[in-house]
Amino acid sequence: MLEQIKKNIERIKSKGATYVDTRWYPYEEKNSLVMWNGNLKNNEFSRESGVGIRVLYKGAWGFSASSDLSDLDAIYDKAYDNAKVAAERVTFPVRLAEKDAIIATFDSPNKINPFEVPLSDKVAFMKEVDDMLNKPGIAQRIASLDFVKKQIVLVDSEGTEIEKNITEVFSQMQILGLDEAGESHTRKFTLGREGMMTRGWESIRKDLFAENAERIVSEMGEILVADPCPKDNRSVIILPDMMYLQTHETIGHALELDRILGYELAYAGGSFVTLDDFGSLQYGSPKLNARADATLENSPGSFGYDDDGIECSNNMLIDKGVLVGAITGRQMVEEANAKSGKQIFKESGGTNRATSFYRVPIERMTNINIDPGDDGTLDDIVANTEKGLLVSGEKSWSIGSNREQFHFATESGWLVEDGEVKGMVKNPTYKGDTLKFWNSLSAVGDKSTWKVAYIDNCGKGQPNQVMQLGHGVPVCRFDDVTIGE
Amino acid sequence: MKEKIIQTLRELRNYAVEKNYEVAIFYQEEDSYLMRFANSAISLNTNEKLIRLYIDAFSGNKKASYTLITDINKIDEMKQGVDTVAEMVEHSQPLSYTPTIPVFKGDFIDEEGFDADLAYISNAERLKFFNDASEGMETEDIKLSGIFSNGCNTLATINTKTDHVLYFKLSDAQATVVLSHLKLKWEVSAEQSAQKKFELDPNKLNKDLSFLLDRYQNDEPQQVPLGEYDIVFGPAATADMLSMMGWIGYSGGSMKRGFSFIGEDKVGEKVFSDKFNLYDDPSRLETFPFKQDYSGIERKEFPLFVKGVFQKFVWSQDDADEFGQEPTGHEVMHRSIVLKTGDKDVGTLEELVNMPREKDILYIPFLHYMNIVNPSKGVLTASSRFGALLLKKDGSVVIPYNVRLTQSLLDLFGEKVAWLSKHETIFNTSMSYGIRNPTALVLPTFIKVDGLEISHSNTSY
Ligand SMILES: [Zn+2]
Repeated sequence: MLEQIKKNIERIKSKGATYVDTRWYPYEEKNSLVMWNGNLKNNEFSRESGVGIRVLYKGAWGFSASSDLSDLDAIYDKAYDNAKVAAERVTFPVRLAEKDAIIATFDSPNKINPFEVPLSDKVAFMKEVDDMLNKPGIAQRIASLDFVKKQIVLVDSEGTEIEKNITEVFSQMQILGLDEAGESHTRKFTLGREGMMTRGWESIRKDLFAENAERIVSEMGEILVADPCPKDNRSVIILPDMMYLQTHETIGHALELDRILGYELAYAGGSFVTLDDFGSLQYGSPKLNARADATLENSPGSFGYDDDGIECSNNMLIDKGVLVGAITGRQMVEEANAKSGKQIFKESGGTNRATSFYRVPIERMTNINIDPGDDGTLDDIVANTEKGLLVSGEKSWSIGSNREQFHFATESGWLVEDGEVKGMVKNPTYKGDTLKFWNSLSAVGDKSTWKVAYIDNCGKGQPNQVMQLGHGVPVCRFDDVTIGE
Repeated sequence: MKEKIIQTLRELRNYAVEKNYEVAIFYQEEDSYLMRFANSAISLNTNEKLIRLYIDAFSGNKKASYTLITDINKIDEMKQGVDTVAEMVEHSQPLSYTPTIPVFKGDFIDEEGFDADLAYISNAERLKFFNDASEGMETEDIKLSGIFSNGCNTLATINTKTDHVLYFKLSDAQATVVLSHLKLKWEVSAEQSAQKKFELDPNKLNKDLSFLLDRYQNDEPQQVPLGEYDIVFGPAATADMLSMMGWIGYSGGSMKRGFSFIGEDKVGEKVFSDKFNLYDDPSRLETFPFKQDYSGIERKEFPLFVKGVFQKFVWSQDDADEFGQEPTGHEVMHRSIVLKTGDKDVGTLEELVNMPREKDILYIPFLHYMNIVNPSKGVLTASSRFGALLLKKDGSVVIPYNVRLTQSLLDLFGEKVAWLSKHETIFNTSMSYGIRNPTALVLPTFIKVDGLEISHSNTSY
């Protein structure tokens, strides 16, 4: 197969293509289990394989994919034809930033292959979780396990030959309770890194789920009898299981360079950030240090090499509040530098990824992290807060098309008064303007508050692509935020 | 190809019957093409041809599923899939109810929605359509984005209870043309969908965009003060709100699971404005309808709300099995949602802009990033985008920076509804997360809702 791929790459190059690559997925397997109120509603296994081919011709991309490898030549021809037509409407001819030709292998860290664990063990685990959640006042219980295992072979016309073997494990448990008025409230726990440095079946730790099941059931009991969230302006203290999404939506997506350059305007939207902003925009308060770190050990946002064949790296996005970097790939850094007339980006940040063999690589978040700060523990931050709302667990999120403003609802919220956590409130929400919000960042928790959350369903692009990534974030506090709307 | 698909399904079924398996097999084949534009260029030109086979196995109360992306010639791989899922189900865990394997009364073949000319439109034609739709509008600062997506979707199903086959083949095309100002960051858009090639009309898109572009280039943009507004929603916004209602409103499963704002006791009760008449009507061909569902149940006009009164919940097969209900023919990829028109004679944006008015009216054609804040109360939140206008009562027009609405469906379609346009628009919502799923709603072109609060207003785009 590899020989056939290389021969075809050469063949298409000889027809005038300036760049050709192939992602061959010998296999991608998924196993998804959902237990709902003790019923194993989903017990799904899937398998796919195929190739995706990118051709660059006269500055335009063509792409073609198929699971039918019986006529490989035809898939290459189709990609080439697609590029030729695209070349009829070019405004800024695509060129790719320099890179080294890498020949390498990447294996994601894991000990126990979840696909070799008997179904009975997985079901027994879910049953145990279900039992832990089956408590008075809990109307619905959902436990899920998702496993992914894939092999990706990337070959390109610049000498790249990379094999990636990736195993992912995702898990969540969620409960729903109905209050006296019949209104529903949810609470969940999503498996993150939790100190674990590998991500096989071993990361499904019963003690962790037991501890968190007890916590969310107890919180639900309080939510059901809580008073409504007040409507006012106050400080908001955000725990990592919500802070990850705040970071995702208002730093991550806003700093995808293709979005900034207008490549997502047909659907997902743009960004309030412009090329002139790099190096000068005060994105947040000086307490804010954010980075795209694809070298973070054990996270779905660390994948060795991106689909352009660039080695994963760790890049500052926001340095002491000032915007300094973006989420970048080979094509966009060239275009951004050319359009701004200066070298904003030295090289590709290595973030180009496709969700499957049949989709084209685009810039995706890696691990978009916020560095721990020096404002102490959660207790310290609460002790220093006069009037606040402490929030945890995302419930809904909606963001403006240029990522300029947002509205979030969370599952849990506690009022904070005079340095103390008071009772819970129902239906907590907060909203804000992105820049004003980040500039009101007044406390960043220390390492003890920093956690890595996993995301397995970030959507972007047309056709839509769902991606897996991570966020390492501390507890943060923002001042003068509108809540309760 | 149809014969080959049906023959393959029968062969797989016979294989399963011989081995005493109980399985249902679902075949999906798609041939999709997408030309994507950004910065006035073709940023991506792509196609994917994929065959997916979904196999469910049953064993008493136990169920398991296996999906593979495969090829029609790989019968051995498919048979292996049947064996795999039959093995999986033995180790599965019994459900508290017995899942139904439907018995089809006969073969059902529906290719009415297929047009080969549209499905296999050429690259050159796609490009020409876009060039025509955007002709004369691009400048140094105003750039073209959008998509031209077309393709064909074939679905077929069989199971071990019956050797009858259900077979559906659909084609569709959808074009979204966006013009955006690089520096000012505003965006206007126009959309079109087609079931037959002759329906494609790039000049109509060009005309719609020219009108909006003219307003956006010549009228003053401003921040809209917070407060209550009379709002006219366009079809994209209405379609989005109704899609949410399909999930947290009249779905029986969602209601039973606590994710609905309509309780079991609301059947026969007035929930919305008496101007609100909502149907699932598979006789409307514009909606890419399923005339039978995958359980083989014939689908007929299904009233959801009549004069605002809630009629009945919809029950998919699995929800019906679990909650002891009769399935209602809703085991489909999408419903055929029709919101009946009203009596206001406003059919175009130009007519809306020129309509005499006593108060300012905010026109919101499109809602961006809608999400559910509180399912029990039907509360949604979203922001305006793409061509919103503030129609001042003095007849002038202002371009509003984007605003956020956080409102309950109970208000959006309740007593605050002032009027529904008597003109109909077909709005395509095919944009799917995974597999191709041509879908459209039939809607009044405009809906006016009075006294809705704007909770957030941008100071720029
Ligand atoms: Zn995302």
